[in-house]
Amino acid sequence: MDVIPDNLPAYLGGFRTTLSLTVVSGLIALAVGVLLAGLRVSPLTPLRALATTYVEVLRNTPLTLVFFFMAFVAPQFGLLAPLGYWTAVICLSAYTAAFVCEAVRSGINSVGMGQSEAARAIGLTFGQTLGLVVLPQAVRSVIPPLINVLIALAKNTSVAAGFAVVELTASGRRLALSNPADTLWALAGVALFYLLITIPAGLLAGVVERKVAFAR
Amino acid sequence: MVDPSSAAAVPPAGSRATGEPLVVLDGVNKHFGALHVLQDIDLTVHRGEVVVVIGPSGSGKSTLCRTINRLETIDSGTITIDGKPLPAEGKALARLRADVGMVFQSFNLFAHKTVLENVMLGPVKAKGVKRGEAKQQALALLERVGVANQADKLPAQLSGGQQQRVAIARALAMSPKVMLFDEPTSALDPEMINEVLDVMVSLAQDGMTMIVVTHEMGFARRAAHRVVFMDAGRVVEEAEPETFFTAPRSDRAQDFLSKILTH
Amino acid sequence: MSSVLYDVPGPVARRRERIGSVIGAVVVLVLVGLAARYAADRGIFAADRWNVLYDPPKGQTAADVWQSMIVRGLGATLRAAVVAAPLALALGLLLALWRTARGRWVRLPAIMLIELFRGLPVLLMMLFGLLGFGWDAFTAVVFGLVVYNMAIIAEILRAGLASLPRGQAEAAYAVGLTRSQTLLTILLPQAVRTMLPSLIAQLVVLLKDSSLGFIVGYPELLKSIQNNAQYFGNETYIALFVVGAGIYLAVNLSLTRLAVWLERRTGRTSAPTPGPTAGTTDAVGSARVGGTFGTGTDR
Ligand SMILES: Nc1ncnc2c1ncn2[C@@H]1O[C@H](COP(=O)(O)OP(=O)(O)OP(=O)(O)O)[C@@H](O)[C@H]1O
Ligand SMILES: [Mg+2]
Repeated sequence: MDVIPDNLPAYLGGFRTTLSLTVVSGLIALAVGVLLAGLRVSPLTPLRALATTYVEVLRNTPLTLVFFFMAFVAPQFGLLAPLGYWTAVICLSAYTAAFVCEAVRSGINSVGMGQSEAARAIGLTFGQTLGLVVLPQAVRSVIPPLINVLIALAKNTSVAAGFAVVELTASGRRLALSNPADTLWALAGVALFYLLITIPAGLLAGVVERKVAFAR
Repeated sequence: MVDPSSAAAVPPAGSRATGEPLVVLDGVNKHFGALHVLQDIDLTVHRGEVVVVIGPSGSGKSTLCRTINRLETIDSGTITIDGKPLPAEGKALARLRADVGMVFQSFNLFAHKTVLENVMLGPVKAKGVKRGEAKQQALALLERVGVANQADKLPAQLSGGQQQRVAIARALAMSPKVMLFDEPTSALDPEMINEVLDVMVSLAQDGMTMIVVTHEMGFARRAAHRVVFMDAGRVVEEAEPETFFTAPRSDRAQDFLSKILTH
Repeated sequence: MSSVLYDVPGPVARRRERIGSVIGAVVVLVLVGLAARYAADRGIFAADRWNVLYDPPKGQTAADVWQSMIVRGLGATLRAAVVAAPLALALGLLLALWRTARGRWVRLPAIMLIELFRGLPVLLMMLFGLLGFGWDAFTAVVFGLVVYNMAIIAEILRAGLASLPRGQAEAAYAVGLTRSQTLLTILLPQAVRTMLPSLIAQLVVLLKDSSLGFIVGYPELLKSIQNNAQYFGNETYIALFVVGAGIYLAVNLSLTRLAVWLERRTGRTSAPTPGPTAGTTDAVGSARVGGTFGTGTDR
């Protein structure tokens, strides 16, 4: 039981790394994912095909495989990403971007055809239809799924523990190994910190979702 | 269907408005894949004229209506509005659409904007009217269609009939040359149909040019100058409402009328 | 065709699209070409990097290599998934039923279990098994996969039950079925059927997550790739990785196709529609099963 308070600094260090991985990768994934979604709904076939391929491949690939690629295979191409934090950021962003793209795309598609037809019918141009009618509505329906994608990302940062990043899970594993009598407590401490992120975020998603549903 | 007491004030049906041609379709054809939805459609609607389009389901009425503001493209033929051919795209098309009001069966009010914002959006963004001015005009229009007291609500908080009247106000706010109505009352509960039809009748009385797809024969009799009967992608018959409903010439129109009249 | 975003293109737009498409295609092809050129310059396509797949050195046969990857590696991956999936389904079903219990206090533990396991990384659950309970790697992997996925499956089923029209339950009560009969014979089968695509998508997630075994020392597909690469030399990593990634893609894409096909066939538009697959730890899955803290289905 005492392992948790006794090793608070170690937990907090891991927690900070986990948070930082989540925030940094999350921001990059949001940017890349929105860009990918733009390509996926574009009328230009080659760009659409490119984005579709990327998204389908990454969504059907285990995240561990992405890390595996960066850690062991990419060096064979002469791409020597230093193992550790930034490799993890690259993997997590690349992987999460595919899910961001899908969330954004389905948000756009959830706006009814009638909405944009009505916008066109009162004489709004393409840009106005997009900016005044389609996107504001898409954003609303896209926020709850995006929060869930980010929650998944927070949990997914744990995979970095297998690739030389000392984040929360790796700190917990260390503590468990060095406190053989208290392994369960050591790991329970880790669980506690994850729940600190995932439960409030989940509640937030639920609240936003209900708000959006009401506004319809 | 329509309250007969208000029918007295209506222009005598069939007194064809004698404006110049406003909407002209000439040899219009359209396919959906193998389906030939519009076949050699010739139709001229004059300024101030109210034309009701009726016909069986799938005969191409909606498609016809939607080609006039190019929500659907056509394969051949020409469509001119006020003497100018329908632009194919871009700013010119947006400007033309601003001149052609459209009212949809499913209202299609902008779900994230209040009633007032719905009506103001077009004038402010497409025509560059000042907000204050647009607001005055929007409130006046909402007053006219009888929903001014709902101005700050979201569309989802309104009844179907109210939503459709807002949609009419939204179209009117652009001061269109012609208004298209695609079955504006068929998604409404029976008790709400009249409130929408009354607004449309008063529009007709004010001289608005209207093309109305509807099965409301009461409306056709009260307000239309001409009925166009479509079947299988063709205009089969055109006549004044009274003539059409009492003595249709074509077999298909007789058949169609007998079906909707027995109900 | 017009879409939510685009009007039916006119001639100018069509010309722009054509030109844009050509430029886009050229850019994509040039990038691919440059990448290939770069790879070729570094000898990526040299035979000694690929012969491990058809004529491996060190006195091994191609059959040995493939057997170690397909039979042992993929076999171990599938074994974990095949053991975990039915357990997760069964326990998820139980949790979902428990969650529909009438008393608020009776169903609270179910809600807490679901929220707890949904909120934790699968890898951490595996470590609990491995270090906390001292189990072997296989058991730990299965444990992690089961507890996480049962929670998600319970949520999927709950969403399925919630999506059924109220009339279904009322009709069942009206013909005299009891509450549990109604739940088991009328509601649940329909919920399972509506949510079948989501359930299959979740199985893809489960299969993907079995690769976490690599981190906790379970000799699955990735481990067998690594073992082979270490034995034959790091230059064989690329070829072995291509095979491993290809296997994952083939299996997961087929499952995804199956889910899409089933969804089309059942053709239910009312049910929450799944994206074809979800993320490692269920990136999209939780999004589609509705609010995080529901109040329980009041049936
Ligand atoms: N986007 C489309 N793609 C393919 N076929 C279509 C499309 N829109 C309409 N159709 C088909 O074209 C035909 C005419 O459709 P339209 O909607 O114009 O008929 P309608 O006369 O308005 O019928 P209703 O009274 O049911 O509204 C129908 O058979 C319909 O199935
Ligand atoms: Mg129609």
